[in-house]
This record gives sequence, C-alpha cells and structure tokens, in this order.
Amino acid sequence: MPIILQVKNLVKRFGGVTAVNGVSLALEAGKIYGLIGPNGSGKTTLFNCITGIEERDAGAVGFKGRRIDGLKPHQIFHRGIGRTFQIIRVFPELTARENLMVVTSGDLERARQRAEELLRFVKLERLADEYAGNLSYGQQKLVEFIRVLMTDPELILLDEPAAGVNRTLLNELLDAVRALRDRGKTILLVEHDMKVVMGLCETVFVLDHGEKLAEGPPGVIQSDERVIEAYFGR
Amino acid sequence: MNWNLGEALRRWARWFRPGLGVLLVLLILYPLWGTGYGVRVLLQLFMWIALAQSWNLISGLTGYVSFGHVAFFGMGAYTAGILVTQGVLWPLAALAGGAMAVILAFVIGWPCLRLKGPYFAIAMLGLNEVLRVAASYFEGLTGGGLGLSLPTLDASVRVYYAMGVVAAAVTVLTHAIVTSRFGLRLMTIREDEVAAEAMGIDTFRYKIYAFLLSAAAPGIVGGLAARDMGYIEPVSVFPLVTTITMIVMVLFGGKGTIWGPVLGAVILFGFQELVWAHFPHAHQVLLGAIIITVVLAMPRGILGVLQQKYNLPRTI
Repeated sequence: MPIILQVKNLVKRFGGVTAVNGVSLALEAGKIYGLIGPNGSGKTTLFNCITGIEERDAGAVGFKGRRIDGLKPHQIFHRGIGRTFQIIRVFPELTARENLMVVTSGDLERARQRAEELLRFVKLERLADEYAGNLSYGQQKLVEFIRVLMTDPELILLDEPAAGVNRTLLNELLDAVRALRDRGKTILLVEHDMKVVMGLCETVFVLDHGEKLAEGPPGVIQSDERVIEAYFGR
Repeated sequence: MNWNLGEALRRWARWFRPGLGVLLVLLILYPLWGTGYGVRVLLQLFMWIALAQSWNLISGLTGYVSFGHVAFFGMGAYTAGILVTQGVLWPLAALAGGAMAVILAFVIGWPCLRLKGPYFAIAMLGLNEVLRVAASYFEGLTGGGLGLSLPTLDASVRVYYAMGVVAAAVTVLTHAIVTSRFGLRLMTIREDEVAAEAMGIDTFRYKIYAFLLSAAAPGIVGGLAARDMGYIEPVSVFPLVTTITMIVMVLFGGKGTIWGPVLGAVILFGFQELVWAHFPHAHQVLLGAIIITVVLAMPRGILGVLQQKYNLPRTI
C-alpha cells in the first residue's frame, strides 16, 4: 500500500523541553496504527505538529506525497486529515447538529442529511438539537468523533478515543473505526487502554521522552524489553 | 406549577412578527404626531440599537471583545463632519463615514485579530485613544480640540429615519448571520478557536469578515450623529463610556443573540432617559453595577438565559 503520511525527523521544543525529538514514522494507507507511550512522551505534541496546531522546530511532514508542515490547521484539514482531541473540544453552545454542520462547505441540505446520518450512526439522533455542552462526557466524545467524519478525511487522528467511554459505547466506536479502515481510511490513535490498542492496531509506535522507542505489530511490542522498561522502569 | 415560561414564549413567538410589523408602522408614522423631544429620544435609541447590534457581531458572536468600538463611531463622525463642511450632502457623508470605518477596521483588524482575546481588547482600547489624540492634533482637518461646527440644518426627522433604517438593517443582517452557517462558524471561534481551526475553519478570515461588518454601522451612525449634533469634538465622539454602554447593552440583553442587543438597548436607554437623567452622576455607577450583576448572575444575558434554559431556537 502507498505511504499516506510520512513524518521525518520531527523536532518540537517548548523552551528547554524537547517534547518531540527527531521522530520519524510512515503510515500506509488503509491501516490502523497505534501510538503509545508514558505520559509526557510527546504523543499529543506529535499530533499537534502533524495537524499544524503547533509549529514544528525541525523536520518534515508529508501527506499524500506533498509537504504539509508550515500549513495552517484549517488548510491541513482540507488536505484530508481530521482529528479529535484528548480533552473534548466540542462547541458547547452549539447544538450537536450544528457542531457537525459547521464543518462542511457547500450545500446546506446535504450537510444536514450527512449530520443526521452520522448522529443516527452513533445513536444520538434524539439529541440533535441539544446543546453539545449539555451532553454527557461519552456523548460529547461521540459528537467529536463523528464531527471528523463530516468531510470524509483520508487520515484520522484520534487522541484517546476510549478514555471515559463505557464498554458498550466503546465497542460501537471501535467497530466504527474498523469500518472506516475497511473503506480505505487510515487511522492513527493515541490510547492508554492496551486492550484497545492490541485488539485494533496493526502496527504500534512507542514514544518515550519524545523519541521513537519501538515500532512493530502489537504482539511483538508487548514483549519488547525497552517498552516494558519505559512503562514500568527497570 | 403547570405554567411553563418556555412554552409561553414559544406560543407568543407566533405573535412576534405581526407585533413587530405593527411596531414598525407606528415608528414610521411617529414623526407625524410626535414631539421634537420624542423624535430625538427615539433617534438616539435607534443609534444605540445599531451600535449594540454591531458590537454583538464581532464580540457577541466571535468572542473577540472590542473595547474600542466607539473608534468607528468617531471615525464616521469626523469623516462625515469634514465632508459636510465641504458641502457634501449629509446622507452621502454618513455613508462615506461608514466606508472609512470599514477601511479603518481592515487596517486595524489585519494585525490585531491575530492577537488572542485579551490582547485584542487592549489593542482596541489603544486604537480609540490614538484616534482621539489624532483628532485633536490634526487641527487643519479636524479643528483640533476646538472641534468642528457643521452648517446649521434642522434635519431631526430625516436623521430619525436614517438612524431607524441603519438600526433595522443591522438587525436584519444579524438575523441573516445568526441563522446561517457563516454565523455558526463565527460562534465556533468563540466556543473553541483551536478546534474550529482543526475542523477546517479559516478562523482569521472569519474574524476579519465579522470585524468589517461590525464597523460599518457605527461609522454611518457616527456620521448621522455628527449631523444631528451639529458640532463634534474629540471628547464627544471618542468617549470610552460609549463603548462600555454598547457592551453593557449586549451583555444585559444576551450576547450572540439576534434580539438581545435590541432588548438591552431599549431597557438601558429607556432607563437612562426616564430615571437616570435625573441623577446624572449615578449613571456610570449604575452601568458599573449592571456589569457586575450581569457577569456574576447571568453571563448569558436575558435572552441567553431563556434560550439555554428552555432550548429555544436562536431566532427568539
């Protein structure tokens, strides 16, 4: 499969702290990837650099063969990269439906239909006209997830999709992720729940102190000495 | 208790448009029998509606608080004042005032709308101070601290209609914006600018659009006010208290709503005319007290609270 996202020697510093230190990774189209690592290992910062929310200090990001580093977040979104956030970022004083409808351009009626479809898909159609801020944590998480799907992006970055979501809901969400993969989408997800990572991802990247520690299939990663050490200490 | 305010509001909403139509007709006919004083009071009310509504467009919708919005009013007043003394007809001069205000908004907005919220607020405050000093300094053009006298002309009734048209136009514009995807996108900037960017919304461009739209009416209204007052000076067209009054009206009525700024303008201006006029020094103290009460007790304002509580449509 062709490489859809290529990150090369990416560096991001915050003052004296090097949050991401020369990370390189390549994602093939149509697969689910996991990004794991202890707290503060640079996972979210890496996401932010890929999506343009943080400006990188060095390195390059290529998407579908074209460089996207240096672009604004909204431009990167329109190239086909959607994301969710670790801490929920729905628009609280917009309704669930409006949260979705702001994303697409063009025909308003089609946007409305797409929003309806997606709300039904996660069984939230009853709450379409409720302010997003009034929804439960898990429901907001779902709204954020389907908001990414409004424009059908090629690559979807999910920052801890499982955190705080109950089991039933989680299984539906994971099925949805697999369904996206089956339709040829590429997914990169940060997750602390190892069961989710192991059950879903085909390849896992491990970050520690801003550097890529290991890369491989979940089974191999799970028994990797260095990974165990990074999580539990020696 | 069976009686439900939300239901009642929804039922009354049916009568809202016909009621509004009747009110408009009455306002159009009013100068036929109204007193000179009455016409002037309503004219000022229209001015406040236009100002509050304009502030709402940038600050109520995008959350970028402008502490210097009266700068556009002053810009319009001086532009129109200077043109009128050169013999230009006052309606055209007022429109030119609006155009100059929009140009000023573009020049200021381009750098300043990149700033985050609080810094933008301070930058706008600075802009107003700079313009006031500039108006005093360039004596050849503005008459400096001595001010600018316009040729005498009794145009109260005509200014009344002009102000009314501007107030109605900004309200119609706000209605169109709030009920559109463009308006929803402006609100996403207020809700979460980073998320809006990440969802493909070019937030900077949207902020610029909102800012330009929010400058036009204050510029026109400033030009009309200059004609109405017949005399302008730096302290009379760049007063900070005008910006603060706009802000209070919007916060009180409901920021980001269509009718909140109108409601706020009617209530606060009405109070000012009926009550506070007898206690001129208490005016600013009361404004301050209202700000504190609103921010603490109902930060969404009257309509905001009702909308949230009863899940009313944005058009109420």
